[in-house]
Amino acid sequence: MRSAWVVMKRELGSFFVSPLAYVVLTAWLVWNGVVFWVLTEFYARNAVSSGAASPLSAFFGGSSLFFIPLLVFVPILTMRLIAGERQSGTIEPLMTAPVSDASVVLGKYCAAIVMWCVLWLPTVIYAWIMRQHGTVDWGATAASYFGILLLGSYFMAIGLLMSALAPTQIIAAVLSFVALGVLFTVGIGEFVFDGAAREFCAYVSMWGHMQSFSKGVVDTRYLFFDLSVATLAVGLSIGVLKARRHT
Amino acid sequence: MNEVSFRVEPGEIVGFLGPNGAGKTTTLRMLTGYLAPTSGEVRVDGIDAVRDSIEARARLGYMPEGVPLYREMRVYEYLRHRGALKNVDDVADAVDRSLELAGVADARTRIIGQLSKGYRQRVGLAEALIADPKILILDEPTSGLDPNQVRQFRELVRSFGGEKTVLLSTHILSEVEAVCDRVIIIREGEKVADLVPGDAETKLEDVFAELTASRSTEGAS
Repeated sequence: MRSAWVVMKRELGSFFVSPLAYVVLTAWLVWNGVVFWVLTEFYARNAVSSGAASPLSAFFGGSSLFFIPLLVFVPILTMRLIAGERQSGTIEPLMTAPVSDASVVLGKYCAAIVMWCVLWLPTVIYAWIMRQHGTVDWGATAASYFGILLLGSYFMAIGLLMSALAPTQIIAAVLSFVALGVLFTVGIGEFVFDGAAREFCAYVSMWGHMQSFSKGVVDTRYLFFDLSVATLAVGLSIGVLKARRHT
Repeated sequence: MNEVSFRVEPGEIVGFLGPNGAGKTTTLRMLTGYLAPTSGEVRVDGIDAVRDSIEARARLGYMPEGVPLYREMRVYEYLRHRGALKNVDDVADAVDRSLELAGVADARTRIIGQLSKGYRQRVGLAEALIADPKILILDEPTSGLDPNQVRQFRELVRSFGGEKTVLLSTHILSEVEAVCDRVIIIREGEKVADLVPGDAETKLEDVFAELTASRSTEGAS
């Protein structure tokens, strides 16, 4: 596990000295700043009619505005993880170092989770802003962040898997975008289908997931779904690296 | 790849020779655990490199072809990282020693991406030496170096003789004659010769031409 830590430190170090990190973080904050501003304006001008009860809970999952940037930013953050090493050739020294495939993958995955947290950390300021002008449901806010962490654990795992599969970073980004886009769209099927299909779509729905958490409801079904997808994707990534030795 | 069987004795410097595409890199990748052989056996220092891959990898220093490095890192940062990854006890000390040995101490704080090819090559060598391995595997270690650097490099490798086991691949014949105790020639994934360069009756260039050129003329006709 010590080697996973070494891999993670290198990954984060390289990310945070790259211009990409700051372009992504700035773009992310600009986007979310605009979303948050529009939502607060909306709630200030309209009496709350339905759905999310506050701008904060609307921000954390009441609107599809939450997911659209994620579908783009997650692939950009995860594309380099393994495909980047493959493209630059550094995968060879990495895979010939005396470390297990699992610790390489876990190190990369933990680095991705830290990136995810760094992405979200500045949004705590929105809660602080709301506190200046009214009351904040801290329980629901904590649940929202917990939901975000769970969501990230499986988004990043999917991005990691695509990066393990793809020969280049661009292909990794496209594959993750498609995978997340399909999952998001399947979730919308909740409003389309009936019966078992509806149940299934609701279960997969990231929208429903975040709506639930943003109201302060920690639903163990979502918890189970997120963690099993994350475990599966990380496990498959290890398998992909192992298989690559046999080609 | 098939029918490439050879053995390198401790302390020996062996050249691995063959035309481009003969399977030199593939063979070295199997030795270093990057690729798994579909059949056959690989032993590193007596350890089964297929079953106990990590154990075997811990015993060797490897410089891949083209010397891929993390370009955004500084030289000492990279060596520290690799030292930690290879479980070196005193990393700071190992970094200093390998920088000195590879002759890159003056580039210590430079960013790898800004270094010249010759320097990057030496950083790769410092990396291979970081854990003070008994076995060194170098894939085309002098490609892209200028004549002075090539000479320095050869002197360095020769200085390892007896102490470290070195297997280096190349397609430069003079290199083999200058540094190697023994040479293995492969062609199209098969071993075709295993000889000592500098023997009275073996002129390496003729042997190499004879063993490897016939197929390419066939291909041309």
